[in-house]
Amino acid sequence: MEIMMEYSCEGYRKLSRRALFAGAMGLCATRALTQVAFRKDGEKDGRVLVFLFLRGGCDGLNTIVPYGDDAYHRLRPSLALRKQDVLPLDDRFGMHPALRSLLPLYQEGDMAIVHAVGSQDRSRSHFEAMSAIERGVAYAGEPVSNGWVARYLAAKGGTQDPLQALAFAPVLPDSLKGSTGALALEDLKQYRLAGGSEGRRRLHESLWKLYQQGDDRFSVAGRQTLKALEIVERLPDVTEVNRHGYPASDLGKALAQTALLIESGVGLEVACLEKGGWDTHVAQGATEGWHASLLTDLADSLAAFSNHLGKEMERVTVVVATEFGRRAYENAGLGTDHGRGSVLFVLGKGVAGGRIYGEWPGLEPEALEEPGDLRVTTDYRAVLSSVLAARMGAEALLPEVFPGYSGARLALAPA
Amino acid sequence: MDRRDLLKAALAAASATALAGCGRGLRNLLGNSDLGFAEPLPNPEPIARTLNRVAYGFNLKVAKEVAEKGREAWIESQIAADEEEDPWLVLQIERLDVFRLGPAELRDLPEEEVVRQLQQATILRAVYSRNQLLERMVEFWSDHFNIYARKRFEAWRKPMDEISVIRRHALGKFPDLLRASAKSPAMLEYLDNDRNNKAKPNENYARELMELHTLGVHGGYTQEDVQQVARCFTGWTIENRFGRARGTFRFDESQHDFGEKVVLGHRIPAGGGVEDGEQVLQILATHPSTAKFIAGKLVARFLGDGFEGWRDRLAEIYLQTGGDIRAMLRPLLLSDDLLHAPPLPKRPFDFVASSLRALAAATDGRGVLPYLRAMGQPSHEWPMPDGYPNETESWTGSLLARWNFAIALLSGDVKGVQIDEILRQQPVEAILGRKPGEDPLSRLIAERRDPRERIALCLCSPEFQWR
Repeated sequence: MEIMMEYSCEGYRKLSRRALFAGAMGLCATRALTQVAFRKDGEKDGRVLVFLFLRGGCDGLNTIVPYGDDAYHRLRPSLALRKQDVLPLDDRFGMHPALRSLLPLYQEGDMAIVHAVGSQDRSRSHFEAMSAIERGVAYAGEPVSNGWVARYLAAKGGTQDPLQALAFAPVLPDSLKGSTGALALEDLKQYRLAGGSEGRRRLHESLWKLYQQGDDRFSVAGRQTLKALEIVERLPDVTEVNRHGYPASDLGKALAQTALLIESGVGLEVACLEKGGWDTHVAQGATEGWHASLLTDLADSLAAFSNHLGKEMERVTVVVATEFGRRAYENAGLGTDHGRGSVLFVLGKGVAGGRIYGEWPGLEPEALEEPGDLRVTTDYRAVLSSVLAARMGAEALLPEVFPGYSGARLALAPA
Repeated sequence: MDRRDLLKAALAAASATALAGCGRGLRNLLGNSDLGFAEPLPNPEPIARTLNRVAYGFNLKVAKEVAEKGREAWIESQIAADEEEDPWLVLQIERLDVFRLGPAELRDLPEEEVVRQLQQATILRAVYSRNQLLERMVEFWSDHFNIYARKRFEAWRKPMDEISVIRRHALGKFPDLLRASAKSPAMLEYLDNDRNNKAKPNENYARELMELHTLGVHGGYTQEDVQQVARCFTGWTIENRFGRARGTFRFDESQHDFGEKVVLGHRIPAGGGVEDGEQVLQILATHPSTAKFIAGKLVARFLGDGFEGWRDRLAEIYLQTGGDIRAMLRPLLLSDDLLHAPPLPKRPFDFVASSLRALAAATDGRGVLPYLRAMGQPSHEWPMPDGYPNETESWTGSLLARWNFAIALLSGDVKGVQIDEILRQQPVEAILGRKPGEDPLSRLIAERRDPRERIALCLCSPEFQWR
């Protein structure tokens, strides 16, 4: 193409220089953008929350395994893991062997586990249950339209930096809905306008002219995108982070890039990540197989992330959640149907980890919730509000983030 | 054989004229001689809106057709969906293995190629079909009865689902569509109903059937109903025995639970077989919650949110006509609200299809697929059973990929796409279907000389992201 991208053409150069002038005198788009600085404070504003959602309903019983519970073995004659299969954490629970790369983090107290945790939503619908947790409410039916992460950002004073709130996802997740500044992208490496540097600059300016005025959602998002492009262009090479041992998976890539942004001090405060594929109705496997391979990717990605950030993990907190757990008994297809309670992880340097939080309701018939599910004994908001209070210094914001929730909290350690 | 070779082979197989850049299919969009802006369109805005909602976006030539025929008559012909397709498009589609071969023979093709052909057909039809409403409804039902083409053998099963479930009933009666979907091997596999047996019923299909396909999540069913419905469908599976027509629906008596069930208060007596599931479908298809749910989704797709009066009216029509989709669509599409409702976001597929239509681009539908993927909406690849989302917020993150597509399109970087005549037109009128004004886009275009840049900027504008 002649004009837009090819800057070998002399006429184009002239045109673009003129356009640059016009921009500088009139709109000052690029000049304003360069003021978005790379901060390196790493202190008060340096706290980062990573919210990783396991979509599909992760089987908590095959993640943090109650190997010491007789009922577990009766309910899952084919799927149950034995004592020698798991990485024992205490007399009842063991980590699934696929999580072995997380064991050191747990042992050092940098990983907390919450079991039998979930929302009050009993629909057993993926979408309802996800929607409840991502919007930070008890039931999906509650008339709250924005996400809890978006409310947290708003309560903090809104999003100013273009990369303050980010979702590594094809579409913006519900947790960030309502946050005009939040951005969804899948890969920083591909986050750039097409063409050479000159053509990009010209296009960037043209786009700024098109997007600077409107107050429709696309215009607002367009401005945010243009600002983010400015910053991403100046980031160090994304592929450099490969040496930290991230798996070559989407999650590995997303966590690597999240770590890169944290390191770069571009003002990232919240990153929402997701990993799908947990809806294991059929042939989910036991020590190996479908569910185990998901766990391996999860654990190896998180371990690489923690290893990559090292001491920086003091200001970073990762919460791993899922919409619900799965039926306590296996089905005929050697899988499990939608259930209730599952597990949740909190990672970060000094989170008061190395222990399993929550009351274990047991798996005896009378302890299960109809039609045979692990009961929810800890509201997921107990965990999230503890994280916000202890790790994000946001105690005062809790009534805005989780309106109507005043339940128990976990004793997580401050960041 | 790489993609280029395949394409070459395809080219060789086609008649030279069909692909010389201006086959008859393209003429539908290009016009026979020129796009001619000599006579301005009478009242272009209602027509532009109509094409944005009923069809896959504005195109000068089609806009003129609508103006000549009359807007209402054109909408009626779209509802009838009896326009003869151009032989060029028919040829393009028929040449694709996915619609030529049965599921068993298709197995010889790699999954990647099968999925790509499915997506190629979807874009070809959206851009070139004369029955645009039909294609919009195919997209609507493909979301409603979403199937993830990357699960197990779905890639090879989906073409049959597309032909005999979605396309066959897209403008028919909802209960027929529902029944066809329930016995579609692609759906049986996607929601694990093929593994549902009496020993331990699998609830996946039962739940999504009520939550997503019929009643809606607040449609008045309980967890107990889910389990009862799952029992009704035990034994529904996919034929896999030697010497039989593999890959078709099969009822396996030995896996069916013959006990009594109660579904939504209806007693289904013991001893029933395949009829148990069929009876469930009948109960659901005639349920007022289903009428309301389907009506609401149609209204949301064509008008947007907040039209509860329309939802109730369409639900009423559903109940009166036994779920006649055409009967529901007619008043909706002919209404003033269609013209005046607030704009709806273009999802990435809309954006790509409407770009190609506006530009009257020549394409085999293949080169644009990587761009759709980058925008987050490759057809048939949404893993969850609720289908691609509709909310604006879900898609604002795809802007960068949209811009880059527009640039690539006008730079000639999208493989197999040619653009020609459009370059001679006034871009705002040709792409957006309105007169240039004092808006930022018109001003910027007036500053620019290169026709390709001018058109790319139209596609990049916030305005073009809405319909």
